[in-house]
Amino acid sequence: MKTVAVFVGFCLVLVFVWERVDVVRIGYEIEQLKRDKTALERQRDELRVKVSALSASDRIAKLATEKLGMSLPQQGQIIVVQSRPSDVHPSGVVPVGLKVARNYVPSGRL
Amino acid sequence: MAGSLSRGRRCVLLLLLLCGFGVVLFRLVTLQVLQAAELSVKADRQHQKTVTLEGARGTIVDRHGKILAMNVEVPSVFGVPNTLDSPIKTARQLSPILHVRTEELERKLRQDRSFVWLARKMDPEQGRQLDRLSLDGIGVVMEGRRFYPKGPLLAHVLGFAGMDGEGLEGVEHRYESHLRGEKRMMVLQRDALGRTVFPKGMTEGSPTSGHSLTLTIDEVIQYIAERELEDAVGRAQAKSGTMIVLDPKTGAVLAMAVSPRFDPNTVSALSPDRWRNRALTDAYEPGSTMKAMMAAAAIEERVVRPNTMVFGEHGHMTVANTVIHDHERLGWVSFAQVIQKSSNIGAAKTGMALGQQRLYRYLQAFGFGQRTEIDLPGEGTGLVRNPRDWGRRSVASISMGQEIGVTPLQMVAAVAAIANGGLLMKPYVISEIRDADGHILRQIPPQTKRRIISQETARSVTKILEGVITDGTGAKAAIRGFRAAGKTGTAQKIDPRTGSYSATRFVASFTGYVPTDNPQLAMIVVIDEPQRDAWGGAVAAPVFSRVGEQVLSYLGVPPNEPVMLAMTSPRS
Repeated sequence: MKTVAVFVGFCLVLVFVWERVDVVRIGYEIEQLKRDKTALERQRDELRVKVSALSASDRIAKLATEKLGMSLPQQGQIIVVQSRPSDVHPSGVVPVGLKVARNYVPSGRL
Repeated sequence: MAGSLSRGRRCVLLLLLLCGFGVVLFRLVTLQVLQAAELSVKADRQHQKTVTLEGARGTIVDRHGKILAMNVEVPSVFGVPNTLDSPIKTARQLSPILHVRTEELERKLRQDRSFVWLARKMDPEQGRQLDRLSLDGIGVVMEGRRFYPKGPLLAHVLGFAGMDGEGLEGVEHRYESHLRGEKRMMVLQRDALGRTVFPKGMTEGSPTSGHSLTLTIDEVIQYIAERELEDAVGRAQAKSGTMIVLDPKTGAVLAMAVSPRFDPNTVSALSPDRWRNRALTDAYEPGSTMKAMMAAAAIEERVVRPNTMVFGEHGHMTVANTVIHDHERLGWVSFAQVIQKSSNIGAAKTGMALGQQRLYRYLQAFGFGQRTEIDLPGEGTGLVRNPRDWGRRSVASISMGQEIGVTPLQMVAAVAAIANGGLLMKPYVISEIRDADGHILRQIPPQTKRRIISQETARSVTKILEGVITDGTGAKAAIRGFRAAGKTGTAQKIDPRTGSYSATRFVASFTGYVPTDNPQLAMIVVIDEPQRDAWGGAVAAPVFSRVGEQVLSYLGVPPNEPVMLAMTSPRS
């Protein structure tokens, strides 16, 4: 009986110690995960700033004109075609106004 | 064996054991009971670490959610000089990464201090390089740094935040209480090696970030306005320029451009003069653009009608012993032509017929001499003197835009009132405030300040101002396919040396709206001291036209004059 009581007591002490150690271990894991989360959030924010900088109108316009040879349509090169009552589809949907931009080249090519 | 011990020895052994236990018991009581409070505090000090955490500063986005300003955590590096063996060696290793001279770093690291900043808010890549180096006596902490990813775009409106993250100018300053993140103290448990185990009290959580602001500004419209303004200021070799684009129906600011621009990411090298938002701080004499408001007042008060005939005095008229000139020698012309041809004499005569009190009342009604109450800091009131201080020529002068100071924002708000049928709207740049989770905390609706003129008067003035572009001084403001209305202005600046009007320094401006049947844009362009052609119609009106054409196309506004379908068929 005595031996059983000592064994049970020993087991209880073991469980208690194991629980304390596990709490500390999980604490370290939580901290590590928190650090990972912070690092990922930091990386996400860096990428958001980068995306925003890369999509700046200033930069896109520069790339379009300098690298791709594009230019802003001059007066008369944008023709807006408005829908007429006869353009209404049988379903009753009015077509959206169409914008046509074309770069006039003297040789006649569009 | 035990049995062989004498009784005396057993007693001594027992006594020794009892003494031993007694000492342990005494020590236990001393530590656990008598010194419990003091030792508990000491233990906490060793096991716990209190840190101050600050939530990230809120993000600023344009009306389509494009990021204009946001915080990113970046590394700051510090040194602990009194733990370093060789400051010179450490300085040599740090120098190429921090881009700071070795001598300067060495000087800092030789100080008799336990903490010294070596570089703050560096690029993330520099922090990663330092991590790889892992130097003793050198530490890295993360701090929030404000980034303006669009560079100079909208800088005068956004303003900027200082090194410690506090808003110093513009929206950053005005909405500091919303943008600033929450500060929270947190207690962390540490092990014997000083590693953090977990926060004491897991429910404390991290501090919440500041609120995010959604602007009424459209990044694309802002870009178009800034590009065209910079171009015009450059071509005219002008001192500076300002352009504002408003939605006339709501007062929402779609673009506010100031030239020259600055980059809020590198603001420390610039003087305050460079980041002042001239669109709302600087008053200028508006010149002939004021005739639009004078016309509205005179028509509303039935002093004149658009077809009322006015004699132009063939270009010369004497008022209070001074001569008023017109650039064109006009005879009898209609009041509409007075405005279209920008006749000073016609405007002065109409102003005098309106009278001092009514003119002053309308100046106030249009918002001149008062702040528009836009949600930006530093707004000026302009200058409208009390009628008691007016001279004998003042009514005539004010009617043609002299003896009065207005800000570009006041002027465009007044023009927007004519555009929208007579209502003065409060200009604003913030449309929404959201919390860190994206929930809307506040939506800012358009605010009507007052009705100034009737819709009928507004329609009459619009017709007259359309004539300024089709037949008058503002021909270069025309936008193909759209009916636009506006008024040119060319004002001489006061020469500070002589106190009189300068013959060489001008402010050229144009203000108007488009399309006139359903106004989508009210705009003002002000060019300060153009060196070549100084006329508002030549310098500022083309900017109105170019920006208007591009922005209307971007917004998908259909033109007033439809183009026949047949014209669009491609040529072979």
